[in-house]
Amino acid sequence: MLVFALFSIRRAWQGFWRNALMSLAATLTMVLMLTLLAGFFVLQNVLLASLSYVEQKVEVVAYIENTATQEQVDALVSQVQAMPEVASVEYVSRDQALANFRAQLQAQGRPDLTANLDQNPLYASINVKLHDPAQLNTVVSAIHDDPIVRSVINIQALVDRVLTFTGIVRTAGVVILGIVGVIVLFIIVNTIRLAVVARAEEIEIMRLVGASDAFIRWPFVFEGALVGLFGALITLGMLALAADPLSKAMVNFFNVLPIELGSVGRDTAALVLGTGLGVGVVGAWVSVRTYLIR
Amino acid sequence: MTSHEPASPSLLGRLTGRSRPVRTSRDVVVLHDVSKRYPNGRLALRDVDLVVPEGDFVFLVGPSGAGKSTLMRLLIRDELATQGHVVVDGNDLAQLKRRAVPKVRRKIGIVFQDFKLLPRKTVWENVAFALEVTGTPRSRIRPAVDRVLALVGLTAQAEQVPNQLSGGEQQRTAIARALVHDPRIIIADEPTGNLDPVISWELIQLLLRINELGVTILMATHDAEVVTALRKRVVALEEGRIIRDELGATYHRED
Repeated sequence: MLVFALFSIRRAWQGFWRNALMSLAATLTMVLMLTLLAGFFVLQNVLLASLSYVEQKVEVVAYIENTATQEQVDALVSQVQAMPEVASVEYVSRDQALANFRAQLQAQGRPDLTANLDQNPLYASINVKLHDPAQLNTVVSAIHDDPIVRSVINIQALVDRVLTFTGIVRTAGVVILGIVGVIVLFIIVNTIRLAVVARAEEIEIMRLVGASDAFIRWPFVFEGALVGLFGALITLGMLALAADPLSKAMVNFFNVLPIELGSVGRDTAALVLGTGLGVGVVGAWVSVRTYLIR
Repeated sequence: MTSHEPASPSLLGRLTGRSRPVRTSRDVVVLHDVSKRYPNGRLALRDVDLVVPEGDFVFLVGPSGAGKSTLMRLLIRDELATQGHVVVDGNDLAQLKRRAVPKVRRKIGIVFQDFKLLPRKTVWENVAFALEVTGTPRSRIRPAVDRVLALVGLTAQAEQVPNQLSGGEQQRTAIARALVHDPRIIIADEPTGNLDPVISWELIQLLLRINELGVTILMATHDAEVVTALRKRVVALEEGRIIRDELGATYHRED
């Protein structure tokens, strides 16, 4: 067993360097394809993060009658809070609403004329954030019937459009990533197959002198893994170098959207390494198999 | 040579004085009622019966396409017979499990017209390759390779690569590789086909010596001069049938 493992690994290493040109071609193809895959993967993640940011913006705003007592408001808040569809409820008093309005005017650099008002014209409101914007209607109708609620802003049409759009974009993203993945797979497997075909003579001699299938197969499988590993490491190295300037550019571009991309780096590394090794091994296995089955 | 020859120890055993358990004499190759039809419908062998006892030297002759190569491919189980039994060293190849095929192949040394050497490996590495890929520990590879290279007379060329060698030396490398597993039989498919007459004779001499050490030899050839001069057993194939099987025979039928 040890003899076998040492033999396979040594032969894989030799095979990789003896056919340096072929190995280089396979590795570079791998790098190219993995970069493509990683690029699409990151893009997909940015897209998803942007979409959920947009969806988070969907909230139900219910204006409260000025006659409502604090107890009634508290009761409504805790009632809404108890609904399973609701993520959070925020009560905005009339004074706070006015303060917010003034802050907004100031931020926009427009003159503040509210000081001329003899009373606060704004209503208090409760702002309800949802787990899933698709459940907007349930929450709206529940709140709407409460006697202290003056009105609920109806953004159903807008939400529907946003949801349709994000749904399409999500599906398209997954489909495109899938197609790119399949193309990458085919190209890499084909390149590894070429490397194996280039050694057909060697494989034939191995069969003729009575090498068992395992002895023929495993050196090539290890070699495929080597191509995958090198390809993945080179790709990750390039991505690591490019990540910083790229993410800065991205923040500049998307500066309106504070996107959460915490684990994307780790996920991309796992994807690249996993795909590289996996495709290298599977590609070699499949390619050698052609020569074994007879 | 006949099947009644006394039991012989292994080739390497003889070379080294190290003897293995004594082998009993028996038939190394038995073909019984064998036919082979390829998927394209061509019938390459028809009702072939052939028995080769241990220690025999058999010439397989016949025009191109007569079925010589098919017969050899059946023996190494590169192909399976459509009908009939192919038995090599007591193993019915049709019954053989896939996993057991390599072990039977190690009992057969194969030599081709085009040598089939690996161009980037030295003579020594080419021969050692046959042992490496069958899982032989390194400590046993070195002495075994040195021994067969001495036997075929290539000790001095051990570190050269095939294209530095003459055709005869390349073919002797191939024979050394075929021998290194200590096979029961050597199958040679037109081994002198690419060699000039003088070199061919040297090669035949080498095969005769190996045969004298107890290894059965089955050699396909077009070389009428060699066959006629040696007066060995001759099996003639034509259109997939054995049309002649004679001891001490010539290349062409003597009428």
